Amino acid sequence: MTALPPVQPPPSRDPLSEQYEHGRDLLGVETGLDSVDLVQLGESTMELNMGPQHPSTHGVLRLVLELDGEIVRQCKPDIGYLHTGFEKDFERHNYQQCIPYTDRMDYLSPLFNNLGFSLAVERLLGIDVPPRAQYLRVIMCELTRIASHLLWYGTSALDLGATTPFVYAWRDREKLLDINELVSGVRMHTSFIRVGGLLADVPDEFYGLVSEVIKTFPRRIDEHELLITKNPIWRERTIGLGVISAEDAMSYGASGPVLRGSGIPYDLRKAQPYSSYDHFDFDVPIGRNGDVYDRYLVRMQEMRESLKILDQAFNNLPDGPVNSSDRRVTLPPRNEINTSMESLIYHFKLVTEGFRTPVGHVYQAVESPRGELGFYIVSDGSNRPYRVKVRAPSFSNLSALPHMVHGELIADVVAVIGSIDILLGDVDR
Amino acid sequence: MTTAHQAEASRPVHGARAAELIARELPDAVLRRGVAYGEETVWIARERLVEVCTLLRDHADGRYRIPLHVTAVDWPDREPDEPRFDVVYQLRSLQHNDTCRLIVRVPEDDPSVPSLEKVFAGMDWHEREAYDLLGITFTGHHDLRRLLLPADWEGHPLRKDYVSFGEPVAFTHNLEWALPEQERPRDLPGETR
Repeated sequence: MTALPPVQPPPSRDPLSEQYEHGRDLLGVETGLDSVDLVQLGESTMELNMGPQHPSTHGVLRLVLELDGEIVRQCKPDIGYLHTGFEKDFERHNYQQCIPYTDRMDYLSPLFNNLGFSLAVERLLGIDVPPRAQYLRVIMCELTRIASHLLWYGTSALDLGATTPFVYAWRDREKLLDINELVSGVRMHTSFIRVGGLLADVPDEFYGLVSEVIKTFPRRIDEHELLITKNPIWRERTIGLGVISAEDAMSYGASGPVLRGSGIPYDLRKAQPYSSYDHFDFDVPIGRNGDVYDRYLVRMQEMRESLKILDQAFNNLPDGPVNSSDRRVTLPPRNEINTSMESLIYHFKLVTEGFRTPVGHVYQAVESPRGELGFYIVSDGSNRPYRVKVRAPSFSNLSALPHMVHGELIADVVAVIGSIDILLGDVDR
Repeated sequence: MTTAHQAEASRPVHGARAAELIARELPDAVLRRGVAYGEETVWIARERLVEVCTLLRDHADGRYRIPLHVTAVDWPDREPDEPRFDVVYQLRSLQHNDTCRLIVRVPEDDPSVPSLEKVFAGMDWHEREAYDLLGITFTGHHDLRRLLLPADWEGHPLRKDYVSFGEPVAFTHNLEWALPEQERPRDLPGETR
C-alpha cells in the first residue's frame, strides 16, 4: 500500500494578470500596457456636465463637476440661461409698469417681489399705506411663503426619490393658488401689490378660503412631516450633508433658510420690520448643523410660523381703504372723474405718464421665502427708475453651492441643490 | 397705530454706524457722506476700498460681514471731469442689525476697482455680474469672466449708451444715429435707455 502523495496547494493566481494575458492573446499583439499602474488611474479626475436641462437643477442651471470617482472635487456653476434683462427693462418703463416685471423674477413668490419694489418706491415718495392694505399684504405674502415652501418640499423630496410628498404638496398648494386667483384673477403672476396699496380690496369669498387654510393647514403640515421627517431613508440622505458653517454662510452673503439653517436667527421680518410685521408674534426657527436636513426642518417650521402670522393678521384685519389717499399714485375715484374735469385730466396723466419720484436712492429689503430680497432703486426725478438693482437671495445662496458640495458624492449634489431652494428666474433675473 | 414713516424716522439712520467708524478709523478714505431716506452713504477713495471693507468686517463696532450686492450706476451726462460710474456696495451687519452703503466713483477710461473677493467670498459672483453688465473691472479677481451673458456677447447692456432696442434706420430726426459706426458721435442723441 503506497502512501497518497501530499496534497499540493494550488498555484497562486493573479486574476488581473491572467485577464491581461488572455486579452493579449486575444489581440494577438503586444499592447505595451504592462506599465499601466492602476493606482495612477485612480488619480485622474473626470469632468461631468450636469444640466442645464437636468430635471433636478430646478430650472436651467448648469454645473461643471470635476469628479474623482464619485466624489466631487470641484463644482463650477454656470448660470445665465434664464437671464432676461429685467433690470434694463425697469429703466424703460414707468413705475407702475415695472410691477408685472417684478412678478416674473422670482415666479414662485411673486408677491414678495411686488412688495419689495412697492415699499422701495413708497419710501422714495414718502407714502404711507393704510393699515388694511398692510395687513392684506402680510396675509398674501405669508400665503405665498407657504405655497413656495410647499413647492420646495415637494420637488426636493422628489429629487431624492420620494414621490408621495410631491403629490401631497401639490394638493395643498392648489388651495393657495385659488386664493391668488380669487383676489387678482391670476394664479401666479398676480401683480396684486401695487405702489400705494393693492390692486383692489379682497372679495367676500376671500375670508372663507383663508380661514379654511388657517384651520386645515396645521394638520396638513403634520401630514407632510409624517411622510419624511422621521423617514430613515430621508434622514440617511440628508443629515450631515452639504454643511455650511455660520461663518461661511455669512461670507457668501447667504440669507433666509440657508443662513438660519446654520444657526443664525436673522429674519428681516423681526430685525427690520416692514408692512406692520412688528404687530405679530412669531418665532424664527433655526437649525444647528447647517446641513440639508436642518434647512428642511427650518422651512417646515417656517410654514407653521407663517400660519401663526396669518391667524393674527386675519383675525385683526382692520377696515378701511386699501390704497393710499396720496393722489400722486392713487387714481381718482370713479364718481369724481364723472364730475370733476381736473380729476379726469389727472386720471389720464397718471395712467399714461405715471408719477414722478424725487431724486435719490434707496435700498429696501424684504424677507422672501428664499432670503433677503432687496431693491436698490436710483431715481433721477423722472417717471421711470434710473437704475434698479435687484439683490436676489437665490443668487448669493447659489454662489455657496461649490463650497457645500466639495467632497460630497455626486448623487448628493442633487440633494444640496434642492436644499438651497434656488429659483433660476431669481438667480438670473 | 404709528405709520411706517414715523417708525422709520424714530430708527437710527442705516449706515450711520459704518460712516462713523470709517470717519474715525480711516478719515482720509472718506470723500463725502450723505444721508437720504434714512440711509447714509459714504463715498470712498478707490485705493482705500479693501482697507475700508476689512475694517467694516472685522471691527467690533462694525461686523459688516454679509455682502449684499455690488453694482454700478452709469451717469454718462456728468461733467467731463467727473467720474462716470458709481460702483455701489451694500453690506449688512447682523450683530448691529444695520446695512451700510459705500460708493466708489470710477472714470470711464479706467473703470476699475480693487476686488473684494478676498474679504467676502460672496463678492465673487457679484463682481462678475457687475463686470458683465456694466463693464467695471475688478483688479485682483481670480476669474473675471462674464456671468449672465454668453461669453461672446459684445458690450455691457446696463450702460446707458447701450442701445438695446430698435435698428438704426435713417429718419430725418435721427440721421446721426443711423450713420456708420466710425462716423457715429460718441453720445447718442435723445433717449437711449
